[in-house]
Amino acid sequence: MYDFAYHKPTSIADAVKILAADPDAKPVSGGHTLLPALKHRLNQPSALVDLSGIAELRGIKREGDTIIIGAMTRHGEVATSDIIKSAIPALAHMASTIGDTQVRNRGTMGGSLANNDPAADYPAAAMALGAKFQTDRRTLAAEDFFQGMFTTALEPDELLIAIHFPVPKKAGYAKLKNPASRYSMCGVFVADGAAGIRVAVNGAGPGVFRQEAAEAALSANWSPEAVAGVKQDPDGLNSDIHGSAEYRAHLVTVMTKRAVLDAG
Amino acid sequence: MSENTLAQAPVHLRQGSSIGQPLTRRDGVLKVTGGAVYAADNHPPGLLHAVLAVSTIARGRVAALDLAAARAHPGVVEVMTPGHKPALAQDPDEKAGPFAFRLDLLQDDRVRYANQSIAVVIAETIEAATEGAALLAPRYEVEPARMDLHDAESFFPAVVGAGTPAAEHHGDVDAGMAAAAVRVEATYDTSAQYHNAMEPHAIVAVWDGDKLRLDTPSQGMAMAQARIAGLFGIPPENIHIRSPFLGGGFGSKGMISGPQVLGIMAAKLVGRPVKLVLRREQMYGPVGHRAPTRQTLRLGADAGGALTAIGHHTKTASSSFDDFFEPASGASHSLYASPAIATSHEGVRLDTGTPLFMRAPGEATGSIALESAIDEMADACGMDPLTFRLKNYAEVEPISGKPFSSKALRQCYEQGAARFGWASRPLAPRMMRDAAGMLVGWGMGTATFPALMFQAKARATLRRDGTGLMEIGAHDMGQGAWTALAQIAADGLGLDIDQVEFRSGTSDLPDGGIAGGSAHTATAGMAVHGAGADVIARLAELATGDERSPLFGAGNAGVVARGGRLSRRDDEARGESYADILDRAGLAGIEGSGGSAANPVAQSAYAMHAHGAVFAEVKVDPDLGQIRVTRLVGAFAAGTIINPRMVRSQYYGGMIWGLSFALLEKAVTDRRSGRIMNADLGEYHVPVNADVPSVEAILVEERDAHVNALGIKGVGEIGITGTAGAIANAVWHATGRRVRQFPITLDRLID
Repeated sequence: MYDFAYHKPTSIADAVKILAADPDAKPVSGGHTLLPALKHRLNQPSALVDLSGIAELRGIKREGDTIIIGAMTRHGEVATSDIIKSAIPALAHMASTIGDTQVRNRGTMGGSLANNDPAADYPAAAMALGAKFQTDRRTLAAEDFFQGMFTTALEPDELLIAIHFPVPKKAGYAKLKNPASRYSMCGVFVADGAAGIRVAVNGAGPGVFRQEAAEAALSANWSPEAVAGVKQDPDGLNSDIHGSAEYRAHLVTVMTKRAVLDAG
Repeated sequence: MSENTLAQAPVHLRQGSSIGQPLTRRDGVLKVTGGAVYAADNHPPGLLHAVLAVSTIARGRVAALDLAAARAHPGVVEVMTPGHKPALAQDPDEKAGPFAFRLDLLQDDRVRYANQSIAVVIAETIEAATEGAALLAPRYEVEPARMDLHDAESFFPAVVGAGTPAAEHHGDVDAGMAAAAVRVEATYDTSAQYHNAMEPHAIVAVWDGDKLRLDTPSQGMAMAQARIAGLFGIPPENIHIRSPFLGGGFGSKGMISGPQVLGIMAAKLVGRPVKLVLRREQMYGPVGHRAPTRQTLRLGADAGGALTAIGHHTKTASSSFDDFFEPASGASHSLYASPAIATSHEGVRLDTGTPLFMRAPGEATGSIALESAIDEMADACGMDPLTFRLKNYAEVEPISGKPFSSKALRQCYEQGAARFGWASRPLAPRMMRDAAGMLVGWGMGTATFPALMFQAKARATLRRDGTGLMEIGAHDMGQGAWTALAQIAADGLGLDIDQVEFRSGTSDLPDGGIAGGSAHTATAGMAVHGAGADVIARLAELATGDERSPLFGAGNAGVVARGGRLSRRDDEARGESYADILDRAGLAGIEGSGGSAANPVAQSAYAMHAHGAVFAEVKVDPDLGQIRVTRLVGAFAAGTIINPRMVRSQYYGGMIWGLSFALLEKAVTDRRSGRIMNADLGEYHVPVNADVPSVEAILVEERDAHVNALGIKGVGEIGITGTAGAIANAVWHATGRRVRQFPITLDRLID
């Protein structure tokens, strides 16, 4: 690990001020991606801006038909929140499948979404539910926020504040975890909500994507059988020692069926 | 208690003899309390730390190293390079003996494989040495790496494995194939595997003039002494090795490796004690591995299911600079009766480290292919796989025609099948599902491993206080030598085990031989047994020649030793204690010695093997292709069982290794760079507890009068054989898919 300065601001404004003043500073939330990268010297920020002291970044609330989750809310809090469990149980279920207990007690929703790891869970939920991303300066739709592998629309000094999830009529999630790392090999989140019927896939491709053939099939007939014949094109999907692109394409269909079953 | 002495036994049930008792591990408390001192736990005063800089290319030359940057780093004491190193008495590329594999000891700037040592940084702290090694920032002249078994030019080696002929045959396989009513010809691929012992290779080296003290894990201390003595030009007895415990070896610690010798050179260079420990990724290259193979099996059978021919050809790889060829085809020599058998090997050279002995070298690799092919043939004949194997049961060793010294394989089949419930297996595949909709399959494989013996010596002492001492430089890799050999010692000395001090694990004791080839208990055990018999004979001579003794005139043959007493065989009431005999003779103690070696007469008359049968149940998720081995039942016959608890543990370990072979282990090479891409335990998969929900080992009774006087065969490696094939066959039975590439991965099992 290289040396860096450490800041722990207590307000969003202060955090943004530090980040704006120093282009080589990086914000850190749960640290599950950034700290290993620092340890391996793959990253050399001049300063870390620890967001854990900013109270306004935390918390879960319901406003009308929207669930608002602070960016620094930890996976464990999402998984156990009564508000989320009653409004979007599939999202709570998703959070409960991330990593292990330690990861869930440190990792944050905002950190995961801002990192946009192709094997992360949340992007599929955000995309399928039509979530809105509230930053310190604007609000972005999920389609605009995610821009491919480890890339988002966030500016270097822009902070994600909260994620707004419209409450769906129903939603479900299913994934195949890598048995060692527990990252998603392929996860599918299906939702019938404000944005219509959506099927979003994580783990299989270079970033979250919508499976439009499955969406069309479910719009005509919401049932696991309706998507059983959907064939995902393996072209462009991830291929590694854990599974080939063809295998991941196969999983897209299987997980879509199971997610529909989960949604009921 | 000295670190290398285990005198205290746990409470156990005595039934007149220590051999056969399921004693718990005598070193167990030391291990679970952290009291067991492993090589890297040693910190002599003045210790410096050495870290290897290793090549990131597989073939070429080191063009430049930034020595100034490394030397300038605070804490760095020395940087050892080809141009700056202690002189050696012997070229590390010289073949001084069949087991003197060529080592990379900075002899020049050549790079022969990825992870080869190219410099050693020695520093006051491990951190400074690590940073110094990074600062070397090597630049290379890169040559294209040859990494593909199927692209390289092949040739026919003369010998394979430890020096067995590369091609053997009896009968005419082509004629047998021509005459066959049913034929199976199939090709099986196995992957490169790395030993990955939990304890990395480590060494703490201390020079004192031309004397050398080493703490380093070794499966063969005497062989290491000889190799080091040759390299440094000092007498072997000047080298004192302590190796009381190994965190696994699996063959990779059989010969001293290049990095260990570099630790000794580093200590010589700086004139201070040096510790060098390999990092996990550095174990993928210089310490051996199992090479990939492509095996072609040709089986013929008559209409009744009797084999008419077995052809087994293996293509495998050695390094560009030394010879070790995985002797996989040998698996077909001893298992199934056939009027014609031909085995052969073909080699290529790749830019890897030299492959070496790895857990059942040849036997494991050949077994998975042979057992798969036998299963394919049983199916082609429409026969149950067990029925087919019994039909082709070998009453004599097929390749040699020799009778077996003992063979309880039939009992293994019977007991294993009964325990597993094999009789209710449907013949056709894809016939069974569980309540969750998983496809269920049952498969079996035959296990076999040769019963080997090497040479060893031991020294026994009976003391005036009535206790005994047994000394042997044996090796405990975790298999239980501290326990099993002490049990043999107790019986050899006619003492309760808690009256015996057992010293082991250092090179200044009598040479305990090599802990390899599943032969250590037989080899070291027979030396211990012989030393016990010798010292008892000397004690008996004292007593029977002394007219004050109740044993006077009994003669050696007429005396028995038990519980610390010698008694007349014809009247056990007449006798006296060891202590009384020594006391009267005015001796503080009496010493004897013993040695062991294979008996050449018995070896030429008999084929000697352990046998077993393994039954596996797998469940395959039809949607995901995920494979779970839900049950493993193995039944093994391996002669006299010294300690059933340790032996069962060895069988479990072997069977789990077989599971690993069938489903998990594979080193993945980047063909552009020649580097291993999964050189860590995150991505080089080995089984964890969750992968092994149920494993059972049945110990089948077997007495062998020929292998050695105690009737001991080996138990360490046999569990791997049979198991890997049984799992592959169960996967076929579950799914109807015959996968011939190992490990079997889930993507091969979906539609």
